[in-house]
Amino acid sequence: MAEVTLIAEPGRATGTPESKRLRASGRIPAVVYGHGGDATAVSVDARELRLALSGDAGTNQLLDLQVGSERHLTMARVIQRHPVRNTVVHIDFQVVRRDEVLSVDVPLILEGEPKAVDREQGLVEQLLTSLTVQSTPGNIPNELIIDISGLQIGDTIRVADIALPANVTTDIDPEEAVVVAAASRVAAEVEEIEEEAAEAAAEASEAAEGEAPEAAAGGDDSAGGEG
Amino acid sequence: MPRRVKHRKQQRGRLTGQAKGGTTVSFGDYGIQALEPGWITARQIEAARIAMTRHVKRGGKVWIRVFPDKPVTAKPAETRMGSGKGNPEFWVAVVKPGRIMFELGGVGEELGRAAMERAIQKLPIKARFVIRTEQEEVHV
Repeated sequence: MAEVTLIAEPGRATGTPESKRLRASGRIPAVVYGHGGDATAVSVDARELRLALSGDAGTNQLLDLQVGSERHLTMARVIQRHPVRNTVVHIDFQVVRRDEVLSVDVPLILEGEPKAVDREQGLVEQLLTSLTVQSTPGNIPNELIIDISGLQIGDTIRVADIALPANVTTDIDPEEAVVVAAASRVAAEVEEIEEEAAEAAAEASEAAEGEAPEAAAGGDDSAGGEG
Repeated sequence: MPRRVKHRKQQRGRLTGQAKGGTTVSFGDYGIQALEPGWITARQIEAARIAMTRHVKRGGKVWIRVFPDKPVTAKPAETRMGSGKGNPEFWVAVVKPGRIMFELGGVGEELGRAAMERAIQKLPIKARFVIRTEQEEVHV
């Protein structure tokens, strides 16, 4: 993965009012830390940050961060967003080494049309939208593709079924479900109605069978009484 | 509403600030995000859910991410003031701006948007339709 250069200005004033002023001027407050070094409060240009983190790798992009005269290989770790506007209000840059194993969240993308599920009006539910993987910075995949075209109702795709690239591992339980193909509510209702109808028919036939001998017995009694 | 509560009556509280959590679409593909603070009653939550599920008709799954755990009291009509606090009448969920109240998954965007717009009409506050993938993008 090729890194993107991002220029950070050190020596920003910390605190809420200063950070608000910074955001109003088109910059995002940030902090750089990692590998035992002191945390440094910096700021980055908002537009440059958006461009840097909007590539194929998304927020897992490797960044060549220039802080004054120093250069750090970093990754965006914690992205704080405004609850309503959803804009980035603060970002953490973690200094990384090319040979260290990192833990990152990689998006899981579903591919293909589950025709068998669609035919039976089923529902494909994605329970995990990203997978935490361990890898060196250079081997982090942009996304993990899951083919759901062969999915049938009742099928489950688990973490163990995901094909991970070489040198990429995960600590997530291999039995954890990622995608589930379930019967939809309508299909379930139809099944219930059919089952109820079958039960009712069975009860009716049993009742009919039960009534016949009783009627016969009743006839004998009456005959006996009369006799 | 809760099955059992420690105290039958609560103070009203203040609706200041923005949602502290529950601001991202976490389960489904689409969500309804509150843009104003407010109290959402249990009936309104149910009405919104029914509006959404009826429009989707088949398929789809709905998540409700707010719970009406706050009792609201009211005094009977034509009652003189005093004699203590009224009786609990209904239950509300306290919602602050940014909160994702409902989520929907398993349907296309067009159908999901139409269903959620109908649900928004049942709510007493301004709200908007949000998409998970768009929320994950970096906006500045």
